[in-house]
Amino acid sequence: MDPPNDNEVVDLRSLDYVSRYDDHLMCAICHCPFIRPIRLQCDHVFCQKCLNTAITSFAGFRDDFTCPSCRTPTKGVYLNVPRLLINMCDDIRVKCPFAVEGCEEVMPRGHVQSHVDKYCNYRLVDCPNDQCGNKTRKMDLHPEKCMHALHTCQHCGDDIMEKDYEEHVQESCPSLETTCPDCQTTVLQQEFEEHVKACPEMNHPCAASKFGCPVKVTRSELAAHEQGCPLVMMGPYLDAQNSRLGSLESTVRHLQQRNEIYEDGLSNIRSTLFESSRGIPERDPNLPQESLNEGRLSGAPEQPENDQWIDLPNVYSTNANTYLLSLHESLREEVGQLSRAITDLDARASMAIMNECLRIKEDMAHTNAAVSSIRMQVQWLMNPRLHQAQRMAGARNSNNGNGNTHDGDDTATAGPSNAAGPSPGLLRPRRLSDGGREGTKL
Amino acid sequence: MFATKRLGKELLKMKEHLPPGITIAKSENLEEWHMDLQVLDDNPLYQDQTYRLKFTFGSKYPIEPPEVQFIESPNTPSTPRPIPIHPHIYSNGIICLDLLSSAGWSPVQTVESVCVSIQSMLTANTRNERPPGDSDFVSYNRRRPRDINFFYDDDNV
Repeated sequence: MDPPNDNEVVDLRSLDYVSRYDDHLMCAICHCPFIRPIRLQCDHVFCQKCLNTAITSFAGFRDDFTCPSCRTPTKGVYLNVPRLLINMCDDIRVKCPFAVEGCEEVMPRGHVQSHVDKYCNYRLVDCPNDQCGNKTRKMDLHPEKCMHALHTCQHCGDDIMEKDYEEHVQESCPSLETTCPDCQTTVLQQEFEEHVKACPEMNHPCAASKFGCPVKVTRSELAAHEQGCPLVMMGPYLDAQNSRLGSLESTVRHLQQRNEIYEDGLSNIRSTLFESSRGIPERDPNLPQESLNEGRLSGAPEQPENDQWIDLPNVYSTNANTYLLSLHESLREEVGQLSRAITDLDARASMAIMNECLRIKEDMAHTNAAVSSIRMQVQWLMNPRLHQAQRMAGARNSNNGNGNTHDGDDTATAGPSNAAGPSPGLLRPRRLSDGGREGTKL
Repeated sequence: MFATKRLGKELLKMKEHLPPGITIAKSENLEEWHMDLQVLDDNPLYQDQTYRLKFTFGSKYPIEPPEVQFIESPNTPSTPRPIPIHPHIYSNGIICLDLLSSAGWSPVQTVESVCVSIQSMLTANTRNERPPGDSDFVSYNRRRPRDINFFYDDDNV
């Protein structure tokens, strides 16, 4: 292919950046991710091209050029920008520059050049014809043939480029014609759809075709037909009938469903009955007494039927058993209700008891606490008196030993106190009341 | 090409986010934008007013500075757009600011940063006066702002 084409450099600034990129990766001059970045002495980074433009258009002496960002005088320009920065910029995803031509490729920016050079089939390349200045998509390129030569369309007279010619002749030429299948007139292809709507010769079915009118005539004759067609006249009535039929059908379906449910229930009952009726006749010959008992137990109406059981097993047994079964069922229900009520009551009672218990327990705990606190207080109050009493008892003991009895009131209590003199723990209750009395006396 | 690419990117970014007090009034083409500016603190000179800045971009933007000046239109009763009073703003809207001259300009400046600079220039002002020789300048000046040689003598703005 053409060597100059292969060297065509993609302008990275005009690419469509798909992913968002960090503002720090953006050249402050062109607001694009850095393209071949360079670094100034002050560590500010710009695209090489942007900085060059800024320097060349700088009004003063070149040596006075200051950093556009921080206005530090720049003595040197360094090319060694961190590799990381370049990689991050090259990793930003962009659309193929020939996205307008139909290329849907999205790739890291670093790959754009090679994509365009080697792989992109939508790249516009120069026409092989030197005189022709047009460009062709790479995929459409014929090695030797210029696709831009103009051909005059035989039908419409327009000049069409060769690359579009085929499509033009087959589809888009305004002079293309088709024949209407009904009226045999030829119309332009573009207007065909409109023609079909208006074609007077096209066969339309009668409005009553759904009710069985077989007539299919052209639009012009249709009006005349529809005025005399009996089916069209009956149309409204038939419609009403149809809707009625529909509603009836739905009702019938509903009823059928209900019926099925009932039948199911009935067959269930029948099967249970059959089982029980099979059980009873088996027992009957062996134990006639029991069957009688059963009849008597379950109620009066059973009695005669039970007797006829053997003669007419089918009709009567069914009735009797139905009755029995329903009775049984209702009884069972009642029992179930009762048991439920009982469990309910039980739960309630136990709840109530528990609540009461809790309250009583709490009360008891309170009382216990109160009692113990009172005991503590009393003990505390009694302690000094107890000591006093002990001392007094000791003194009295010595007095008693001397044989000196003068206090009648005290001698009654002194006896035991003497006996238990060495063990004050046993003495305490008596001493308490005594001490109290003595306290009040004093 | 360079200018349109860069302006397109700036516009996208400004539509996402702008500093308080700054709004885009008109940006249909990439040659002339109008920005509305409000001074947000309670400077009595500029309180409750909205001013309109006109940016005119050349093909060499951002290498060369845009022309920036205050304009009065559209000055309808519902949207009054006066020229703010400031010792460096002439009554015809021309701004004497070194940032906007080719010597003071830097290509890293953006429309947003210029707006913020002018906003802060207004905020900091306390003098209720026009530049000296305002009436002469306004009546005789036919030059465009970028052709005027200003002397930037005030370091306080």
